[in-house]
Amino acid sequence: MLHAKVIDSQVEKIIIKNAEEFISSSKFGASIFFIGTVRDINENKKVTGITYDSHDALVIKSFEEIYDEADKKLNIKDKAVFIEHVKGYVGLGEISIIIAVGCQHRDQAYALSRYLIEEIKKRSPIWKKEHYLNEQSKWLEGISILNEKN
Amino acid sequence: MKIKLKLFGQSRDFSKQDYLEFNINNHMSIAEFRNLILEFIDKNFKNNENYKKIVKSAAFCSEKNTLITNNYKITKEQTIGIIPPIGGG
Repeated sequence: MLHAKVIDSQVEKIIIKNAEEFISSSKFGASIFFIGTVRDINENKKVTGITYDSHDALVIKSFEEIYDEADKKLNIKDKAVFIEHVKGYVGLGEISIIIAVGCQHRDQAYALSRYLIEEIKKRSPIWKKEHYLNEQSKWLEGISILNEKN
Repeated sequence: MKIKLKLFGQSRDFSKQDYLEFNINNHMSIAEFRNLILEFIDKNFKNNENYKKIVKSAAFCSEKNTLITNNYKITKEQTIGIIPPIGGG
């Protein structure tokens, strides 16, 4: 069971309670919430916020592919996964991503949560533009997905 | 024929709009299209090496939201997305 969505920060926010409700089930003895937030320092620069850009359709497709692959690689059949990622401006300390997982056992939940975030960072077409205290801003260098597909 | 190149991430700095438009020959490959974008960078941004690096390392996606390879032939007017190196989370 998967919920996958890109949240436009100008329209709505990520709400943790929505994730809690989605993964809540008496079938699951273990729940893990991974929450990514905007940090105040990066590479010795004072960060004031991040603008996220997203290819929404490809992002959702990648979330679905990663979820399906987790079935095969981790062999966790019974699970609930809630993934939301923001696009648009996110201020300091605000949530940029939530991955909530519900599984029968804790070792499954830890493995699944870690697998999802690592694969999303490598494969989901999302970009960050950091804004700094001196009013400058910069797109962060990322990982090319060219070699994986060409 | 006209191709609209939708810009994402670092490539948004290539234009004040969120896309570029190119006139290309039918059956141009993505590899050739990439070279055309590099020519655009040379002409409009004085050979900006950072921008050229973005183009060289970018993937592309079709209007059907499928990643397309260097060998893919563009056979009709459409919007193609440029996917620079990624890094969300």
